[in-house]
Amino acid sequence: MKAHRLLLPVLLASISSLSHAQTQQQAPDPAEAEYYKITTFPTPPGTALEVSSVELMPNGKIAVGTRRGEVWIASNAQKSTAQGIWNATTSTFEPDLAAPKESQIQYQRFAEGQHEVLGLAWKDDSLYTTNRYELLKLKDEKGTGHANRFETVCDKWGVSGDYHEYSFGSRPDKNGDFWILCCLTGSFSSKTPFRGWALRVKPDGTMVPTCSGVRSPGGVGFDADGEVYYTDNQGPWHGACTLQHLVPGSFQGHPGGNEWYKLAPNMGPRPEDPMDKSRMVTERAKIKELVPPAVYMVYGPGKIGNSSTAIICDQSEGKFGPFQKQIFIPDQSHSNVSRVYLETVNGVKQGVVFPFLKGLKSGPIGARMGTDGKFFVGGSDRGWGAKGGHPFAFERIEWTGKVPFEIHEMHAKPDGFEFTFTQPVDPVSASDPKSYTAREFTYIYQEKYGSPEVDDVLPKIESIEVAKDHKSVRIKLDTLTKGHIHEFHLDGVRSKDGKPILHPTAYYTLNEIPSK
Amino acid sequence: MKPLLPILLSTFLTGLSSPLLAQEPLAITLKTLTAQMKFDQAELLVAPGAKIRLTFENPDDMPHNVVFCQPGTNVEELVMKMLEKPEEAMKRNFLPDDPRVWLKSNLLNPQEKQVIEFTAPEKPGSYPYVCSFPGHAMSMKGILKVLGQGPTLTNLKFALYHGAWTKLPDFSQLTPHREGSVPDNLIQLNFDDYKNQYGLVFTGSLKVPNSDEYTFYTAGDDGVRLIIDDEVVLNDDGIHPAKIKEKKKKLKAGDHTVRVEYFQAQGQSELYVGWKSDRFDTTSLSKWTPANWKTPTAQKKDEFIGLPLDPKETPMIYRNFIAGAGNRSIGVGFPGGLNFAWSAETMNLALTWRGAFMDAARHWKNRGGGHQPPAGFDVLNPTNLVPPIAALDSGNATWPTFTADEPIEGYKWKGYTLDANGVPSFRYQWRGVEVEDKITASGDFKNPESKLVRNLKLNGTIPEKTFVILARNATFQPIQGGFFVKGEKINLPSGNFENQFSIQVEGATVIGNLLLVPARKEIQVSYSWPTAYNAHSHQSAK
Repeated sequence: MKAHRLLLPVLLASISSLSHAQTQQQAPDPAEAEYYKITTFPTPPGTALEVSSVELMPNGKIAVGTRRGEVWIASNAQKSTAQGIWNATTSTFEPDLAAPKESQIQYQRFAEGQHEVLGLAWKDDSLYTTNRYELLKLKDEKGTGHANRFETVCDKWGVSGDYHEYSFGSRPDKNGDFWILCCLTGSFSSKTPFRGWALRVKPDGTMVPTCSGVRSPGGVGFDADGEVYYTDNQGPWHGACTLQHLVPGSFQGHPGGNEWYKLAPNMGPRPEDPMDKSRMVTERAKIKELVPPAVYMVYGPGKIGNSSTAIICDQSEGKFGPFQKQIFIPDQSHSNVSRVYLETVNGVKQGVVFPFLKGLKSGPIGARMGTDGKFFVGGSDRGWGAKGGHPFAFERIEWTGKVPFEIHEMHAKPDGFEFTFTQPVDPVSASDPKSYTAREFTYIYQEKYGSPEVDDVLPKIESIEVAKDHKSVRIKLDTLTKGHIHEFHLDGVRSKDGKPILHPTAYYTLNEIPSK
Repeated sequence: MKPLLPILLSTFLTGLSSPLLAQEPLAITLKTLTAQMKFDQAELLVAPGAKIRLTFENPDDMPHNVVFCQPGTNVEELVMKMLEKPEEAMKRNFLPDDPRVWLKSNLLNPQEKQVIEFTAPEKPGSYPYVCSFPGHAMSMKGILKVLGQGPTLTNLKFALYHGAWTKLPDFSQLTPHREGSVPDNLIQLNFDDYKNQYGLVFTGSLKVPNSDEYTFYTAGDDGVRLIIDDEVVLNDDGIHPAKIKEKKKKLKAGDHTVRVEYFQAQGQSELYVGWKSDRFDTTSLSKWTPANWKTPTAQKKDEFIGLPLDPKETPMIYRNFIAGAGNRSIGVGFPGGLNFAWSAETMNLALTWRGAFMDAARHWKNRGGGHQPPAGFDVLNPTNLVPPIAALDSGNATWPTFTADEPIEGYKWKGYTLDANGVPSFRYQWRGVEVEDKITASGDFKNPESKLVRNLKLNGTIPEKTFVILARNATFQPIQGGFFVKGEKINLPSGNFENQFSIQVEGATVIGNLLLVPARKEIQVSYSWPTAYNAHSHQSAK
């Protein structure tokens, strides 16, 4: 295994994930638990259910893929209320045997021996899995409950034995294609074809190299319109973790895999490499293929995360609470989930990330939400550590039915931002400039690992206008900075009945400033 | 009697009480674990004021440091505090400038090491250490335990007996030859009366400082029995060399009666008694301490604990990086201990072996990289990573080769199916011919008749002069029904293997150093090892 070399000094953006210094095992936050409940499932005996992918199956069953190469089918996962109890001796979450049977989750093993299942998709009565070097179709033709056919759909990308060469597979996109996100070989290079690329696999198995510039994906998913995104992790050319829009033909920012343009004539000529120690906004002006991160998942203690993973769009039409069509992104290191609202400005995706929910039991990697609003998420802490404090976990997040007082959406405006809220605000606190603090910053776009937050701008709030219905606030700033992350703390804003905002922090990545 | 057996030791100090060793710094090595965000030891044990030479090594692929703090320091909070001023922290390479820190390494780049000499704190206690690089404190930490010595016996008396015993006698029925007090209160044998055929009974008082669990140790040449408050704690009776025995016991704070019974038959004679707790280091209650003996720390090095995959009822499949089988290997282990790895790069059988199947620890305990060799022995690689089928021009016996990551020409990998017993059939296409390759185990690996039976089915129009390769780079000796193959020796991280085997097949021919069989609809090949397993079993021992 080739270790990737990190150059010192490594910058401070790789700051610690510790916001609760006291405890290694993170407990659910009582304030959050009032609105969103986490159920930690028991796990099957005799295995480490290191969940790396989750998919919904017919009849309410849930497929769970693991880093150890198993696929389990869980039944009763929607209704199961019995919490698993961690047993350090058996290293599993054991069922609470006192709980009634109807409240228990059940598992059946569907497949094993796969090379790290980082993608699961149900399509045409088959379960598709993505391993390190293949997209496979698994079928249970004999009806035994176990797969008997493992059919290779596509194996046209490389693998060399390096740990970093993970491959994440999507569910089918709106055209029925699968997206494969190939991690680089180590942090800097691509030793074998299409490492550092997003590939599409057509239903007939043909592979279309689709985006270059990928570094170290943590997940791939869709927004409500079916646009495709992936998360990338802080490292070389990534000042922080990011949510990236996979525009076909684009370059996503890390040039380490760009030699494979020679095998991808459909992509046109290899774009110019970005200049080291530059800024994203500068380089994207020069490199037309370069798509900026839609959202920076701001790094650091008490901020958003250190290791973004799955991309989950809420399409439950209200069953998961008031955030329809928004995107939820777990973080393996922080054992939390953040919430993203996206908009399109001048044809470019951009948006805001808010903290959403803490207290998962391990490092979430795979996740899936059904139209019933049940959010299944699981993961493992292996290799990097996770705040949740357990080696693996499989959990369900659900809305309690109570609407938290939160910033609902945040929209860029030519001279500032508009915030909307889940509940009417108290107009007095909401129109008081002291209720808000704002800062603008960006990251160095560089080959070195990570970046500090740089180029600080402290904007002045010029005016605040609370809408007549008290559901939104329009803020004008004296300056907006294209390419900067606009950080807001709405600590003083209160709801009509005097409550503070549950998560008053917002980080908006302003790739483009709208003209109106 | 025989000399003292070699005894367990750790990398840590030996014989704290020895004034000679106190001159020489104690060598301790602390390493980072590759890709695990952990130190290799979560606990280090030193004596108060000991001179220490710490070698800190960073084989990981990230930068790390180690920072030692005062007892009670919350190391995660310490790192957080440092990061409140991130610019300053960065300038100091993330080494905290904090009064709670009393020792720190440099920030080491990957593959660097540093030697630090220091004097351990005089005050016993638990001194936390941590990697203060941002994001690491959560899992990368440990405790430097500074432990003093525990109480020793007081009011120690001895009674000397003589007799020729092979087991400890009932001393209460015997009359002592001589009795007295032990002035230094240490259990000892040098009463100079006898060298052979004697017994000793020591009685004394032990002041237990806290109600707690204690570990007691004895080592006797010959029999020794430790009795506390009339209860036998350790009983190592009979004639034998001195070997450490241990037993945990809960004791209430206060004075306890200790009785040690011992006998010597003839030859060498030794007697050791000691105890320890979490609050003090192993403390000898006897004059003699076994050389180089130190209580092993309970800390396990997780990295080195294997995760053996043991097929119990059905074949087990392990798709992963298997050394000697390429990057896309599929390991298959049968319950009887016959195993093989098939390569989805070359579309061919890559390795076969006997005994244990695979150890998954490398792939399942860290980030999943690197090639793991088979866990068993008698590893064979009949064709050593080349594609299975080729059409050869007449007279040209050059077989197509394979290099990793250049897809082999003319082949299409199609996956595998499992039969009702869980045995896989590998499926691929070669020039429009559909091929199925199924390998089953026959017999148990301990049985010399055991073999792997391979069925190749070719469905489609087979071009002329097409061959299937069974072995290469070998010498072939015709035997009944096939060939005895002497291949090139195999070197794997798990050992070196002779690579000699028998192939049973119909219609095979030797062309140069290749063993080929003309391609046909169905080919059955069996692979077997020439010797019973035990003749070779030592060969894989590394």
